[in-house]
This record gives sequence, C-alpha cells and structure tokens, in this order.
Amino acid sequence: MTPPKPSERAAASEPRERSEPAERRTSERIGGSGGAKPPGVIFDEVSKFYGEVLGVNRVTLNIPPGITSLVGPNGSGKTTLMNLMTGLIHPDNGQILMRGISPRDPEALMRITGYATQYDTAPRWATGFTFITTGLLLFGYGRAEAEEKAWKALERLSLTEAANRKVAGYSKGMRQRVRLAQAIAHDPELLVLDEPLYGLDPLVRAETIALFRAWASEGKHVILSSHVLQEVDLISDQVVLIANGMIIAEGTIRTVRDEIQEHPSQYLVRCGDPSGVASILFSEDHVTEIRLNDDRMGLLVMTRDREQFARVLGRIALDGHRIETVVPADENVDALYEYLIGGE
Amino acid sequence: MRAANRSFSARARQAWTIARTELRRAFLAKRGLWVYALALLPAIVFFGHGVDAKWRTDRLSRHGLTDPVVMNSVQKGEAIEAVRARLGKPAEERGGTRVRRVRKRGGDNGTTTHVTEPAVDARFVRLNISRPTYSGETVARIYEFEVYGADGRQNLALGRPATGGPPCSPDRGPEKAVNGSVAGGKADSWCAENWPFFLQVDLGAVHPVKRFVVKHASAGGESPESDTRDFNIQVSSDGKTYTTVATSSGAGFVDERTDYRVLVYFDGRREVRFTCVDGKVDSWITDHVLNLEQDRMIFAGIFQFFYLRLAIFFGCLGMFMYLFSGEMSNRTLHYWFLAPARRDVLLAGKYAAGLIASAAIFGGGALLAFTAMIWPHDPVEVQAYWNAGGMAHAFWYVAAAAFGCIGYGSVFLAVGLYVRNPIIPAAVLLAWEGAAGILPHVLQKISILYYLQSLCPVPAPMDDDVPTLVRLLAAPAAPASRPAAIVGLLLLSAVVLWIASRAVRRMEISYGAET
Repeated sequence: MTPPKPSERAAASEPRERSEPAERRTSERIGGSGGAKPPGVIFDEVSKFYGEVLGVNRVTLNIPPGITSLVGPNGSGKTTLMNLMTGLIHPDNGQILMRGISPRDPEALMRITGYATQYDTAPRWATGFTFITTGLLLFGYGRAEAEEKAWKALERLSLTEAANRKVAGYSKGMRQRVRLAQAIAHDPELLVLDEPLYGLDPLVRAETIALFRAWASEGKHVILSSHVLQEVDLISDQVVLIANGMIIAEGTIRTVRDEIQEHPSQYLVRCGDPSGVASILFSEDHVTEIRLNDDRMGLLVMTRDREQFARVLGRIALDGHRIETVVPADENVDALYEYLIGGE
Repeated sequence: MRAANRSFSARARQAWTIARTELRRAFLAKRGLWVYALALLPAIVFFGHGVDAKWRTDRLSRHGLTDPVVMNSVQKGEAIEAVRARLGKPAEERGGTRVRRVRKRGGDNGTTTHVTEPAVDARFVRLNISRPTYSGETVARIYEFEVYGADGRQNLALGRPATGGPPCSPDRGPEKAVNGSVAGGKADSWCAENWPFFLQVDLGAVHPVKRFVVKHASAGGESPESDTRDFNIQVSSDGKTYTTVATSSGAGFVDERTDYRVLVYFDGRREVRFTCVDGKVDSWITDHVLNLEQDRMIFAGIFQFFYLRLAIFFGCLGMFMYLFSGEMSNRTLHYWFLAPARRDVLLAGKYAAGLIASAAIFGGGALLAFTAMIWPHDPVEVQAYWNAGGMAHAFWYVAAAAFGCIGYGSVFLAVGLYVRNPIIPAAVLLAWEGAAGILPHVLQKISILYYLQSLCPVPAPMDDDVPTLVRLLAAPAAPASRPAAIVGLLLLSAVVLWIASRAVRRMEISYGAET
C-alpha cells in the first residue's frame, strides 16, 4: 500500500481550525500534556454512496483523543463512518486520516487500531482463545506472546471460562465481549467500537466503561457508537450526532444539547379555537413566531424551548381549549432529539 | 509497535500465518468434500480395474496356465479335439447357437415355397402383399404364382383366370403370374404399383391344396432388392371367407443357425477365446487381461480429458472462488481486513492456502491413480517401464496437476473477487479452455490448458474413431517445451494474481443491509 499522499500528510499535521470552542476545550483537556499532540481522527468532506443510496454525506470531523460517541438512530450512518475509519469501505469523496494514517494502509493503521464490529459472526473453527490468538499472530508476535496477550484480553472481559469453547456457541453477549476482547488484545491506541455496550450485563458494562476511561486518560482514541444518547451521556468526552448520513451536532454533551435546544423547533398545533390559543401562546417568551394555518384550523408555532412549550399546551388544554394534535413540523432535529432523549 | 516491520520477510511471515489459518478450512471444509471425490475418482477407477483384472486372472488360472507357445500354435480349421488334446482342459468353455438371418441369394433364385399341412380345400387362392420390396419402392412384382395339390405334381394355378391390383402397364397383367414361365423378362410378370397389392387365382373348382410357390422379382432377373418383402397367402372355397394359410416376411431370407463352442485358454497374461464352428477352430480373440501399454494410454486420456479439464478445473473453482466470496457470505471477511496486513499479503496467504490444499489433494489424487494403474501389473513389466522413464511420467503427472492448481487457482481467485455467482464465469472459462485448441496460436497461450498439456508426459490419446471435426478442433498448437510451459504458466498466473490484488485492494466489506 502506498504511503499517505503528501496532501494527506499536510492535512494531518495541521488539523483544520474549527469554530466549536467545546471541541478545542476537549482536546486541550485530553491531549494537553505538552509536547507533540497525537493527531486526531480527521474526516475531510467525506461522502460514501451505496449505489444510488447515500451512506454518509460530506462529513467533516476532527475527533481528538478521548471517548467520543457517535450517536444517531439506526441506519443513520454510524457503522458506515466506522467502516470508513478502518478501511473496510472506501470513501467516494474526501479524505480520512486516522492519527495521520490513511485507512488505505491497513498494515500501518490496523497495528494501532482495534475495531469491534457489529457483525455477529466468527469463523466456525474458532474458540474464543484461538480466535484472538490467530489475530495476534498476524501482528508478528510469537506464539507464546500472542497467547499471553489473548489470555489477558479475555480476562479483561471476563471470558476466561468460555475461552476454549467455540465462539459459534457463545451467547450474544459473550460474542459481543469476544469481539471487544479481540479489538483490544493488541493494546491499540485507536479503538473503534460499534455499539460496544449493547448486550452486556451491568457488571461487565461498568468494567468495560472503566476500561474505556482508562484508555482515554492515556491519550487514546475511543470512538464508540450508540443509538441511545443516555447510554453514553455520562462516559463520553464528546458526542457526534448523526442523522441520515449527516453530522447534526458535534461537541461535548452540553454543547450538543444546547445546540439542539437553541435550534427553534416548529410545531403544528391543531385546535378548535386557533385564535384563542394563539393569543395565550403569544404571551410566552419562548414562542418566537405564530402563524395561522391556511385552513384556519391550526397554528404553526416556533418555540425555543420545547419543554416549556409542552407545559403551556397542557395548561391551555386544562383551561378548556380543545387541542386535537401537536405534531413536530421540523422533522430532522426534533425527531432526532425526541428519539435520542427518549421523547414522550 | 508503531515502527511496523514492513520488510519482505515480515510480510511473508504474515502471509504464512494467514495461509496456516486458512489451510484447515481449505482441507476440511464440509462443502469441499466433493473436491476429494473428484480428485480420487481416477484412482478409484484404476483400482477397480486392477481388482477386476486380479479376479479375472485368478478365475482363469484356476485350472493352471497354458503354455503361451502351445497356445500360439493353434491353427484355423484345426479340430476342436486336437486343440483340447494339445492345450488341455480350457479355463472356461461355453457353447451355444448363434442365430442369424441371412439373405439367400442365387440359391433359391428369388423363389419362396410355402407349405400348409394338412392340405386345405380351396378354389380361390390369394396372395396379399403388405410390403412390396426390400428397397422401399412400392411396386409389387410377381413372376409366377404356383399352387399345388395333395400330390404335389400339378400346378393347379397354371393358366387359370387371375385377378389383381391394376397393373403397371397393359402387358404386365395378373395373367402373366400364372402363365408358367419366368424367363420372358419384365413382360413375363405381374406388376402393380397401387394399393391394395394382391393377386388372386380361381382354380375353377374346389381342390385340396398344400403347397404354394412364389417367384419374385429376382427369379425373373431383376434386382433382389425388388423381391417381395412381407406377404401372406389366403384361400377360400366360396370366394367370400378367406383363411390365411401362410405368412412370409422375406423372400429368400432364412435363419442361419450355427452351433459354436468357445474354448478359453489363459497363459497368465493373455486370454484367448477360440470360437469353434462345426468342430473346427473358426476364429479367436486375444485379450490382454492386463496390458500396461493400454492402461498407460487410458491413464493419459483420463488425466487429460477428465482430470485436467474437469476435476482440477471444478475443484479449483470450488476451493479458490470460495476464499473471498465464501467469507463474504459467511460475514467473516472483515476479520482479515482488520488485520495489520496489506491486502495483497492477505491475497497471497489465502492463495497459498488454496494452492497447498488443492495441489496436495489433486497431486495426491494423480499419484494415487498412477499407483493404482501400475499396481496390478507384472513386477517385471513395471520394472521395465520404470527404467524407461516411468518415474518421470509419474513426476510430470503430479507436476501437471499441481501446476493446474496454480493456474486455475489464480484464475478462480481473481474471478471470485469480481463475480459472486460461479456458474457464468465457470461456463465461460470452460468454453474458453475447451475451445482454445482451435484458436490462433497466440490466444492458445492464454489458456491454462495449453501449458498443462505441454507438461503431460504422454500426449492425449486420440482414437481412430474420433470424429474428424473433433480431431480437427482438438488439434493443439505445438506444445511448448517443459521449461517454457512452466514459465508461461507462472507468468500467466502472476498476471492474473496481479489483477486480483488490484481488486482485493479496492474490495469493500458489504454484508448487505447496513449503513
């Protein structure tokens, strides 16, 4: 495989300046031990199409070391992003650099990278132990060293008892763990984990999270995906929100949340007495705009705070106004938010 | 860690690690069992042949062996008893009657005689013809129809009124069939060319009749092909109800029955079957129970036409196309792609695994078949063959099988990266490899088979009864010399593998339904 092109090297050495202060804060906090900062995971205008279908669209990212969660509904493009990072698929447009290495150079990249995929398969011949050992032999370790490392990885994920059984016979959670063990066995500095917490029991889950934290504090990249924001809320240094193959928001949890909060949302309110309801809503601070719908049976309301808006609507209903339906009119961000926060 | 060892030897070690892991699957895949069946089939065929020959030898030599010189001394026409006396009790003896329908030409001059016993009373006698000739021509010709009574002397039909189908010409009416002569040429016969073909004679009064004589076309000097083929004779005393008294298929045909005896003698190698007719030796067939020369030719044929063209072809198809696409459909390919190895190292490793497995299976199969072919033969004969280059033959057969795996393996590995369904590329390649023999010389050189055939120690045998067209088509270009063939094949495989490495570098994991 060819070494990274000069342009890629340039991009790697000068991460493009981004405006989000949150991100800079994060990277300073994590990699700020002085000296040469390890370069981040950089996506530059990356697009990937599956035939006519769009996988991800013009994704630009600069992920610093630490725990980063890719969050989005199923089918939003999380796995596509991760496959792009690890070279399982190649971008149609744009460039990717993983700590300065192109994913087209697996010989270099995979040496420092571990990827626990979501593909719930293992070779039929493999036991948990041979599965990981075989992978390690490809790193050039001697057999003894490979076996020792494999054993250590299995220990970390409490799989030692099942180590000599066929992976094909494992439970779903055990297979999840064995994939994690395989990804970490060679002690990578860049971990890409697709839904790593899914299917783990609480105890292992807590241990796994502790493991992620430990790695993050060593300046490693831990990039994981989830379709539940709450799940990664507490552990992530930053989150990247994805929907429909596009990055919706990026930064610390708070920044992302604010970003969504600040984004005014639109609701279509169907009610028996539009003008009456409108006059009540007008008195609220968070409501920025109200328009009467063309059929005179509903209102299009813009609000900056959906929680307060919901409360007001409740009050209005209690006052005796008949409210038939409340439908979010702006699907993208709201739907995503509702989905991730587990909206009622 | 970061300073990855990118040296050639490190990559070779990686490829070997990959190959070792893949070998197990290449050898033991459940879906690969038929590959073993293909590889072992020739060995099984030859082993069966050997066992059969051994059994035959045992059976034939139960009564001891016959001296070959004495066996050779038997002459045609020698009396069966003399043979018995000289050669002793035969290993096997059987006899029987051979029945053969032969056409008697000349002897009976196209005349058939039909007898009905006992005599029947008849006034009207009718000859019904259902197939007028042997040649297929639908023209009936009867030169004379004679009817004899109980005393058998007087022709009752002679000069009697006769009727029949409309004649071919006015001078060939039914009366010509009862005029008592056949010598007057065509005008002396009844001839009809329209259905129904029949000839009827009125004997004038009811007579007991017993014998009928029909003189057909050749009795009058025409071709025997024009003789009446199928007909029957009916009689009636009142002209209303007829009784069939004779049916004949074939004028001038008789069943020739020949009693024969077959004496089988065995001298340890040759089985000679003497066929004796009328107590005299008539002919014999010599059959070598085990003929090394012949077995070697059969081996060459099976090796070239079955083993190289079909067994190794489809075996490699199964083993090599599966290397990538099989793991894609099993959803395990990403493990390899996530290893810290270049994609071409992965390709090399997988190819090596497939190659080792297929070369071992098919090379072993070839060696086993060769051994099974040699095994039943006389050790002295085998030793002679061995001294005359037999070992080199065995080596080159195994080598040709292994090189076949190199060539077909690389092709199918590459094809498997581009196409998932093996049927179409297999058909195209099979057609290409099969047709390469008739292509211009330059194109022949990009078929695997060309090089493999050049490696074979014995050219594929071609029987005399192979159709000319096939013979023409199969005429291969002048074979390359062995070193040239090896270099050519390796170059061809290298080019194909280079194309494959480009494909595998671009390859993406797509297990379907994911974003």
